[in-house]
Amino acid sequence: MRTLQVILNTILSKNIFEYLLVDRALRVTSASYGIEKYLGSMPQEGDDVLDYLPELVGSEEEVKTIFLKKFCLYSLESVYKNDYYVNITVEYCDENTAIILLHNITANTLSKQKVLQYSNESTLLYSTLQKVVDNQNALLFVTNSEKIEFANKKFMHYFGAETIEQVRKKELNLYQNLDKKLKNYDELFELTNDKEEHIRIGSDTFIVQATLIESIYKLFTLTKVTTLSNEAMRDSLTGAYRKSYFNSKFEMMVAESTMCVLVVMDLDDFKQVNDHYGHQVGDRVLQEFARLIEKNIRKGDMFVRWGGEEFLLVLQHTSLADAKVKVERIRQKIASYVFPEVGHLTASFGMVALQDEEDADSIFFRADKALYQAKATGKNCIVVKED
Amino acid sequence: MIRKKILLLGDFSVGKTSLIRRYVDNSFDDSYLTTIGVKISQKRLELEGISCELLIWDIEGATPTRSIPHSYFKGASGAIFVCDVNRSETIESLNEHINTFLMLNHEAKHVIAYNKADLLSTPQKEELFLPANAFLTSAKLDSNVERLFTTLAKEVLL
Repeated sequence: MRTLQVILNTILSKNIFEYLLVDRALRVTSASYGIEKYLGSMPQEGDDVLDYLPELVGSEEEVKTIFLKKFCLYSLESVYKNDYYVNITVEYCDENTAIILLHNITANTLSKQKVLQYSNESTLLYSTLQKVVDNQNALLFVTNSEKIEFANKKFMHYFGAETIEQVRKKELNLYQNLDKKLKNYDELFELTNDKEEHIRIGSDTFIVQATLIESIYKLFTLTKVTTLSNEAMRDSLTGAYRKSYFNSKFEMMVAESTMCVLVVMDLDDFKQVNDHYGHQVGDRVLQEFARLIEKNIRKGDMFVRWGGEEFLLVLQHTSLADAKVKVERIRQKIASYVFPEVGHLTASFGMVALQDEEDADSIFFRADKALYQAKATGKNCIVVKED
Repeated sequence: MIRKKILLLGDFSVGKTSLIRRYVDNSFDDSYLTTIGVKISQKRLELEGISCELLIWDIEGATPTRSIPHSYFKGASGAIFVCDVNRSETIESLNEHINTFLMLNHEAKHVIAYNKADLLSTPQKEELFLPANAFLTSAKLDSNVERLFTTLAKEVLL
């Protein structure tokens, strides 16, 4: 026992360990003086060790088996005791004594806590930012070397991927989904940098927009528009496209010099319909008129309510001559149709083809002029402006 | 006097320490200080004529990179599993914590705290579906904290 005490005193002089000696009933038999700083008070001989180390409550039986097994070791790591962190270990000493060592690990634990605090705060921040990012539109981050670095949840969900690796494997080259001969993300970036481009993927339409992040990353934002804005795109009375939707689409067509013919049309003497039959009948006439037009155009043609009884028709990839044949057929259909409650009505048409390097204002000006001429020359006719 | 060891378990930053502080000291601090290791608080109470002392183990929260030492679980009579009701991932990981704990303490009782309820709006609270042994708690507003601990204490003692 004396030898043990000498060994212990040597260790204790390093101020790293303190100890308690307990008997089989877990009553204190002895303790090092320095242990008071951990326990708050100095244990006396005969005291219940659980009063000083409640950490052992629930494990009394396990601790007592040390006396039977003679080698069993009980340990608890990083226990906060009275402003210190200690490791507690219980070991067999002799058949009537066990030694409880308190190993001071405060400095080390406080350093670890700083790292853990930083790590946890970063994880929380990252998690919050991740949620923000995932709740945005579909996002794709691509590096300058064409590597897909990040795709958010919405992007992955749309393309049926669960991990970024799957996104990379799937080679979801957005640029190939555009109706253009784009070769890489660089070219897609050039096309969509700070402006919007509509792309179709499957049956959905997206607005894609690119932003450069820190000269390294290209961020592509995809906003699904098909289902979301179908109602917003259409005029509620006639079902024709709204002026606002047409403006953005037509701007793009003009910018890309898409081959197209613009037709401006107007129901002749519509004011008299409203005055004579009232606005409700007038509304039904407009609905019938729109239905007649929709029935006689292609799916890709764009029919727009410009305002009141004035409508636009954009015929894509059509020559002026072919377009005139089609519009003449529409004119005849309208003239021969008997509108319920009102009878026969006619419409006038002005039409022009988009010329090279012509802007939207110019083509509208020419089409309006043609319509004006059609009205001035007796209505129910088509005027084509070739220049 | 009867002494019972109960644990507070859950992911990091769900409010385990705040729940204990509210219950033991009736205090609350908004700032976040990560718990490392374990700190034991003592609370004396009397339930239906029985005097007892709860030894409440505030155990550091689980993180993706640090798991909780199983040595802390030994000899526990009960546990309170805590999640942050505003962070779905902490709710999702409850089952893992519960299973690990019950595997080592077959007879132990447990309750669940859906904490930080003060951050929820009234409609959000109304839409929430909680299991039978769960409580919507707020250490900040001192909501359901006493009930949470007392319910577990009764389960453990009576």
